[in-house]
Formats: sequence, structure tokens, C-alpha cells
Amino acid sequence: MDGRSFQAKLVYLLIGVLVLLQTVTLAAIHFAGLRSLHRNLVEELRVGSRVFEQQLAHRGRQLSESLGVLAGDFGFRTAVASGDRPTVVDVLSNHGRRIKASAAFLVGLDGIVTADTLKITRMGKPFPFPALIRQAEEAGEASSIVSLDGRPYQLVIVPILAPRAIAWVCMGFEIDEGVLRDFQRVTALDLSLSTVGADGRPQILFSTLHSNLHGDLVRHVAARRDNPSGVEATLKLAGAPYETKIEPLRTADGSRVVALLQRSLEDARRSSRALELQIVVFSTFALVLAILATMYFARGVIRPLQRLAENAQKIELGDYSTAVDVAQDDEIGRLATAFNRMRTGIAEREEKIIHQATHDGLTGLPNRTLFLDRLEHAIAAARRSGESVGMIMMDLDRFKEINDTLGHHFGDQLLNEIGRRLTLSLRESDTVARLGGDEFGVNFNAQQPSQAMEVARRISSSLEAPFVLGAVSVDVDASMGIAIYPLHADDAGALMKRADIAMYDAKKNHTAIALYEAGRDEHSLRRLSLLSELRQAVQRDELELYYQPNINIHTGRAAYAEALVRWNHPAHGLMLPDEFIPLAEQSGSIGALTKWVLRNAIYECAEWAARGAPLIVAVNLSPLDLFDSELPTYISGLLAEAAMPASWLVLEITETAIMRDPAYALKILRDLKSRGIRLSIDDFGTGYSSLAHLKRLPVDELKIDKSFVMNLTSQSTDDAVIVRSTIELGHNMGLTVIAEGVETVESLEILTRLGCDMAQGYYMSPPLPAGDLQRWMTESRWAVPAKTTLKEGNE
Amino acid sequence: MDFRHLIAAALCACAAAASAATIVVDVRDPQGAPLADAVVYAAPEGREVGAASKSAVMDQKNKTFIPRVLPVQVGTSVKFPNSDDIQHQVYSFSPAKTFQLPLYKGTPANPIVFNAAGVVTLGCNIHDTMNGYIVVLDTPYFEKTEASGRVEVRLQPGKYSVRVWHPDMKQEPPPQMVTVGEGERPEIAFSVTAAPKALTTAPLNKLEEKFKKYGNGRP
Repeated sequence: MDGRSFQAKLVYLLIGVLVLLQTVTLAAIHFAGLRSLHRNLVEELRVGSRVFEQQLAHRGRQLSESLGVLAGDFGFRTAVASGDRPTVVDVLSNHGRRIKASAAFLVGLDGIVTADTLKITRMGKPFPFPALIRQAEEAGEASSIVSLDGRPYQLVIVPILAPRAIAWVCMGFEIDEGVLRDFQRVTALDLSLSTVGADGRPQILFSTLHSNLHGDLVRHVAARRDNPSGVEATLKLAGAPYETKIEPLRTADGSRVVALLQRSLEDARRSSRALELQIVVFSTFALVLAILATMYFARGVIRPLQRLAENAQKIELGDYSTAVDVAQDDEIGRLATAFNRMRTGIAEREEKIIHQATHDGLTGLPNRTLFLDRLEHAIAAARRSGESVGMIMMDLDRFKEINDTLGHHFGDQLLNEIGRRLTLSLRESDTVARLGGDEFGVNFNAQQPSQAMEVARRISSSLEAPFVLGAVSVDVDASMGIAIYPLHADDAGALMKRADIAMYDAKKNHTAIALYEAGRDEHSLRRLSLLSELRQAVQRDELELYYQPNINIHTGRAAYAEALVRWNHPAHGLMLPDEFIPLAEQSGSIGALTKWVLRNAIYECAEWAARGAPLIVAVNLSPLDLFDSELPTYISGLLAEAAMPASWLVLEITETAIMRDPAYALKILRDLKSRGIRLSIDDFGTGYSSLAHLKRLPVDELKIDKSFVMNLTSQSTDDAVIVRSTIELGHNMGLTVIAEGVETVESLEILTRLGCDMAQGYYMSPPLPAGDLQRWMTESRWAVPAKTTLKEGNE
Repeated sequence: MDFRHLIAAALCACAAAASAATIVVDVRDPQGAPLADAVVYAAPEGREVGAASKSAVMDQKNKTFIPRVLPVQVGTSVKFPNSDDIQHQVYSFSPAKTFQLPLYKGTPANPIVFNAAGVVTLGCNIHDTMNGYIVVLDTPYFEKTEASGRVEVRLQPGKYSVRVWHPDMKQEPPPQMVTVGEGERPEIAFSVTAAPKALTTAPLNKLEEKFKKYGNGRP
């Protein structure tokens, strides 16, 4: 039994209390018994002492009566009166025998012993017990205990009347064993008689005690010699206690004869011992019974408690499956019932919480946490089996737009539906998760990249059908990045990151699906370090402006040059804007970069004019620049500073930049326009701006995206249609149309035929450092004649 | 008891002539109560008194010696008639006269002559309570007190040693010397201390007590 357990504590407590109680009770009984025993003994001894006195007195009376009769015998009296000593001695002996006396004396009225049957030497001497005679003179008879020749005697004396007293006859009766045994039989006490011997030391005259106790008895009497009267004490004889009463006997001669009445305490206790033993036996029996009952009871309490504790431990470990079975209709039973209810409650809540923690509330799909967890498990399993795990990261294109235009509720419904379609398009063992926003993740078994591509295509086709939600029907495009364990990454985190990278590649390249390419991650890592380096690039003078000239198709002359920033990175070499502009946008340093570009481009432009080869300069604005309300003022300041007309500056803005916050962008654009600055829509065709919207924009030019222009010479008639439509659209809206990405003379010819106003591309010139542009301006076939004035621009 | 004095006094008394004198003796106990049955006797100084040949009677009636005390002069013969209808066995262990009268009824034939001075204590062997005293004196001048405790002893003028004896006395008081002239009546007082009763009377045993109580047919 574990000492700390409830059962043990209960049992120990009970045993303790019971043992204590019983010990106290026993002790009380024992001591009360002892006290009562002692009282009884003392009383017994007192009674015994009185009995002994009575016995002696009675015996004395009997003896004296007998002696009186004897003394009245005429023959006796005659013999005594004769005065013949031998006759007197004989008659004393003879008559003494009749009454069984052991000693007989004849004493004259003058107190002189005239005859003695014991000792002849006493004759003629005074009677040794004169007090006895005095007593007899009063009462006519007397008796007393005396010590005679070391023996206890009861002496009886009566006068011999003839008829007047003529002498005393005294007879002695030894107090022998018979007397004491009689006494012992009546009182059950031990009796000893002691006197003071000739040597002054006490001596035992007779005792019912065993002789080997006499030595101790003598010592005790000696110790109390001075005051022996009525002593009641407990004496130790041979180590055993005896309750003792020392009773001095009245003696005729004043000799000290004491009676010691005793009772062995051991004997007296024997009966109470038996009682105590009985109590102990009963107590022990009761104790055992109580312990058994307690253990039985405690077990009844503890068994269910143990079951509850075990169950609680299971719950602690997350096992809610087992109910506690306690079929008791008491507090414990109610506890168990409550416990069971609590258990199911906790289980339900935990399930709910876990579901909430691991699932997306909107679509009910697993969330990022659960997805990552499953991916980890899948990878762990694949690691063991040597298989592969594929994952797809999917992001919807234009979802924000849908959300903005059709409302969040619609967006939510759409996400829900997409989740449903994804789930339906996949096997049950595959996991579809909503990772956040419009981002979904899919985890599946795939041994080959081709299999993964197959899955991606299946997803893609599941999204092809338009989503009809209420009255609205929308098409949804998605970009998917695929990464495969162990081909692309060793763990779930890396796999997700690489799928993400692949997805961005797909999105950037408009390929819908992209498999992760080895090394892309390093590129991505490089971006991170570049981010911090970019901030210092301006101060370190690592940035440089290149200029790509742009020709007026109608005149065949250079119209303006688009300033393009390059970063001469000390480690990575020359970096293109595509690589670091997004970083600048993310890091918030795009404003400073734009301003740097504007300042340098405007001053370069002024330089060109000063050299007599004037050329309009075009600068790209980042979408974020359109949120800078200070920008128009800054540009005006720069133009004034460089003494350059506003009309010589073209600001190119992408469609998407305007779409972010059309109202605000429009406000900035109008401000810029009002300052005389020309505005151009860059990369036209890649965005989704509505024509209505476009119409409201205060722009002067459209730049058709190079992706359309570059395919112009191929068999893709779609692109040619788009280019032609765009040119017509631009012209219809009164805008100058510029084609980018003109790489061949054929393209230029087609554009010329289509009526495009201006062209830009490698066919004319790649972006050139400022110095090279100077040379191109003078040497190329599109060089501007030196006479052209600056003020008129190139129109 | 000084028997020699007693004898001497008796002799003196006998020798005296017929002239008359009286001694008045008062016997009391120490508490002043008069004592009866006290024998007062006077022994003349310096003269012998001869023995008498008188006679006296010591009767036994109702298990009692009557008189209880009988003073006699030396030489007196005493009869012991038994007036009871039961037998008595009279005895004496006294040195002055030791005798025994076997069980008898009526008057024994021979009286007993007491010719030695001294107190003779009489008893009955079958009635321990019977006590009688014959005081044998050497002088003719004696008297026994009655209830008043006062006696007059007539005698011849002369010098006397006056003594007293009582059956219950513890000790004889010292004799008193007195010289009496013709016609004189000197008074003498004696205080007699009683001896323990146990020594002078036999206790009644229980049986006797019972007999006494129921009268035993006689008073």
C-alpha cells in the first residue's frame, strides 16, 4: 500500500485513532483497576488485621474460659494450695495438657513465678509480664500475645480462687501454623509475626510466607522499627510487590510483636490481568475489524477515484475515447457522471478547436498549418518509402479585381466554389488546402514532374468552366507552381517556398503552370540581399541610366529616348530593372529611385538640347509613384531647375498601376497633365483596364506591349489583330500609338503599314549608355538633324 | 497480716482486769463510704492474752456463709450447719486452718476448733461464689462493723495496737497505737482500700447467671 495514497492515509488515521483510544481506555482501566485493587487490598488488609485481632481475642477468651474452668478444679486448687513445688509443676503440666497449653506458669500474688513448665530458671523470679497480671486484676482474666523464648505465644492468666485468690495461673498457647493457616484460609492474606530479638534486630517468629522471603521481610521491618504503628505500604519481597500492613500487637510486656499482613500484588492482579487480557483481545479484534471495514470502504471510494484518475491521465494525453464506468449512486457516482460529461465536452470542443485551427473557416479546407503538417507527414513517409511528393501552389489571377468589383461576398463564394472544384478534381488521398487569400495548396503523390504537370493541368481544366454565382458568371485564371520532393526540396517548408517561387514564375510569365527550376530559389535569396543593398546603391553611384531611342515612324527620325535604369552591382554585375524595381517597390525605396531617375533623365535631356541634338526623354513611373502627391510639384521643380519645357518629358505609367487606385491615380495624372507633362500608358494590353476607364485617362500615348509586337511576324494572327485593334483604338481616342519590342525590319514595316505612330526596339537600338546614345544620335539612320529646335518637340 | 501482733494483743486482753474503757473506730473506704463487715480489733501492748474456749456458728443459707465474716478468738470452736436443702462441701486452704468438710447436709457432728490466729477463707467446692471468712484473733477485744462502719470496742484501760481487717481490702492499713484511760472513748478512723474484686470473688459463670436469673426455684 502506497503510503501517500488516500486509502493508506485513511487506514493509518483510523488505526492511529483506534489504537490511541484503546490505549487510553486500556490505560484508564489498568490504572483505575490498579487504584481500586490497591484500595481493595488496603481494605482487605485492614479487615484482615481486625479479623486477626478478633481471632486472637476470641481465642484468648476461649482459652481464658478454659483456663478459668481449669483453675476452678478442686484437685488443681488443692494441689496448688499444697505449696509443694514438684506437685504444683506436675499439676500445671497435667492440667495444661487438658487444654492443650504449651506452657504453664504459677505466679504468686506477689508476682513471683513459683512454677514454670518451660524453664526452671524462671522460678523464684518476677513474672516477666506484670502488665498481664494488672490486667487480670481488673478483669478477672487477661490474655496477650507475647514473645516467649523467641516464639509467639498467646498467654492467658486467671487467678486461682480458693475461693479468694491465692495465686495466678498463666498458660501459654503458641501461635502456631494452625492458627495462621486458619487465618489465611479466612482472609487469603499472608501473615507474619515478628519481634525484636535479643540482639535488638527484628526476627520473624512465624510466617505463612516462604522462608526465602523472610530476609527481605526482616529488612523492611527493621527499616520501620521506629514507627511501625499501622504502616500500610507496598514492600518488595524477592522483587515481587506485596501490599503490607504492619500491625503491632498489644502485648502484656510491651515487647514489640508485630503482625505483618500481606497480600501479593501479583496474585491480586492476576484476576484484573485476565480482564485486561480479555479487553486487549477484544480491542485487537475490533481494531482488525475496523481496519478491514475501512479498507473495504476506502477501496469503494478509491477504486472509482483511481479509475477517474487514470481516465483523467488519458484525457491529459488526449485520449477521450474511454468513459469511466462507476455504477454508484453516490457522490462518487455523480462525480463520474460529471466527469464523463466533461470528457465528451472537452473532446467536442477540442475537436472543434483543432478543426478551427487546422481548417479554413470559409471553404472548410485544411489551412496552411494543417497543409504543412500533412506535407511533412507525406514527405516523412516518402522518405522512408523512397517515393516522391508533389505539391502545387496556386494563386488566382485578378482575384483582387473580382473582389473589388463584385464584392467580398462574391469573392468568398468564388473561393468556396474553387475549393470544391479543386477537391473534386483530385484524388481523395490528395490534400487541397486554402493557404490564405486566394492562395491554394495541393499535396499529392507524384513520381515524375510529368505526373505533377498532369495534376496541375487537371486542376487547370477544372477551373476552365465559368463560375456562375447568382446572376454573375466569371472566368477565373490561376497560376500554379509545382515543386516535387525530393527533386526540388528536402523538407516541407522548402518545398512550399519553391512551389511558391514556381507559381510567381508562372504568373510572371503568364504560363499558368510552372515547374520549379533549380536555382530559382538562389535567385530569390539574392533578391533579399539586394533589397538592403539597393538602398545604398544611389549613394554609391552604382545606378546608371540607359536610354533606348524611339523613332517616329512617320518622319523616320528619333522622337525620344526612354530612360532605363541599370544597376552596376559590385558582385552581380549589370542588373536589369525587372530584377530590382520590384525590390525597390517592396522596400519602399522606389520613390527615391524614381526621383533619382527623373533628375538624371531631365538633366541629360537638357544636356542633349544644349548639344544641339534635342530628344524628348521618357521616364517610367512605378505604380507606387502615383500615390505620391508631392511628385508633380517635384517634377515641376526639376524642369524649372534644368530650364526644360515640360513637354519634353514623357512619363510612362502601366495599366495596372492606374488600376490599383484609379481615382487617386487619375488625380495625380491630371495634376501632371496640367503641368504640361506628357503621359503614356506603358505595356498596354497586359492589363485589364476597361476602355471606359481608359477614355477618362488624361494620357497622350499608348505603348503596345512588346509581347504582342514580338510575335507580329510569326503566324500568330491573334497578336497582329490585337496590335491593329490597339492602334486603331488609340487613334480613335486621339492618342499617339507606340509599339515596343520592334526587333526586325519586318515588324517595323507591318507597324508602318498598320499606321502605328512610333516604334521602339532592338531593331532601332538597344538601351544605350548616355555616351553611346550621343553617338547613335549622330550616326544612325534615324538621327535627328541638328537644326531641329528644342521648343517644338519632335511633332 | 501480722499474726504475731494479733496473738500478742489477744494475750494482753485476757490478762486485763474488769475495769472498763471504749475505743470508737470508724472504718470507711477512701471515698468516705462506711464499710460493713470490717473486723476491728485491739491487741494490748505488753501483756499476753490467753486462748478462749468459746464456740461460734458459721451457717450456710441460700448458698451464702452467714455471717460472711466471723471474728473469733483463738481456741474458738465453730460449727458449720447447713441450712440449705442442698449439700455443701466447705473447705479452707488457709494456713491458719486447712480443712475440708465433705458434702453434707444438716450440722456436722464435730465443730472445728480454730486454735491458730489468722484469716481462714472458707469456700464451697460446689458453689464457687460462696465466700466466708473466719478471722481468728489473739485478742478478745474485737468488733465487726455494721452498715454504719462505726463500732465501739470495749476493753480495759491500757495501751493498744488497733487494727482493722476487711475481706475486700487490698492491704491492711497500718495499726494505730492508742492508750486508753478509764472511761475514756478515743476515736480512731481507718480508711480501707478495696482489693480488685477479681481476687476476692469468683465470677459467676454463665450457667450460674442463668440460674440466678430464673431463681432456680428459690430466692
